[in-house]
Amino acid sequence: MKAFRARRGVAVAELDHEERTVVARIVADVGLLLGGEVFGMERAPWEAESSQDLLEYLTNFESHLAEPDDPAILRLLPNAAPTDREAADEFRRYTEPDLRTLKVARLRRIWAELCEDGPRWEVAEGEAMDTAAALTDVRLVLASRLGIETDEDAQRLHAEAALASSAGDVVDRERVWLGMLYEALTWLQDSLVAFVMGEEADDE
Amino acid sequence: MSADPATGRATSVVTRLDDAWVTIVWNDPVNLMSYVTHVFESYFGWARVKAERKMREVHEKGRSVVSTGGREKMEVDVQAMHGYGLWATMQRSGE
Repeated sequence: MKAFRARRGVAVAELDHEERTVVARIVADVGLLLGGEVFGMERAPWEAESSQDLLEYLTNFESHLAEPDDPAILRLLPNAAPTDREAADEFRRYTEPDLRTLKVARLRRIWAELCEDGPRWEVAEGEAMDTAAALTDVRLVLASRLGIETDEDAQRLHAEAALASSAGDVVDRERVWLGMLYEALTWLQDSLVAFVMGEEADDE
Repeated sequence: MSADPATGRATSVVTRLDDAWVTIVWNDPVNLMSYVTHVFESYFGWARVKAERKMREVHEKGRSVVSTGGREKMEVDVQAMHGYGLWATMQRSGE
């Protein structure tokens, strides 16, 4: 994996086939978590094959308007007014469908980019902040699954990941794997934000 | 508070004290300092120095008030912050 670098005004990272597959997979998973359909197999609601499908769609739609139970989703769509229930409910009612649509659309775009052939992941300047925001959403979900709630938790994970890559026997493989993915996405996002902020000179 | 040039009356009706709300951004362990700075720059139109100062306030004090105004405007700001993945809330000013 190579971090994003500026090339002729475009941010370019390099991910090998396996890395692209892994990142595309977690991006699709977060899209699914937000209520998008399985990426690559979308079907518009009006194309629902039976009234049962439509009913299911509507049930899902309504359930989205209540505060989510999953802490990861709650982190993507937080309570906007913890001290004012009425304001919080109204905010969720009016903004949540749009926020979900925005987040799923961004994830779907980067999923499609990662599904293209070749190691280069190119992000145009105009799409860089959207891509960085989508990477934040993916990292928020991973952090929730990893139990990262404080800055100290994040530092501990960083130390764990460094230790795990040098030590042979691993106690919790899934945690190590998710942790390394989190670290890799953090590194990618950091390089993309540096590109956006113009801190890196064009190297060509 | 701005004055209406046509009537000369202060347009304070829409920003009465009891209508004043604030948008707060809270510290979280996931968002990068550079990313938060750039969100503040691009959304609020702040200069880099101010955006960094507010980002540091969030990071070091745990929270920062990023905007003040009527409830509807605060809803717009909180929605934008949630769009970027920042942890933002709104409340009545002085709460």
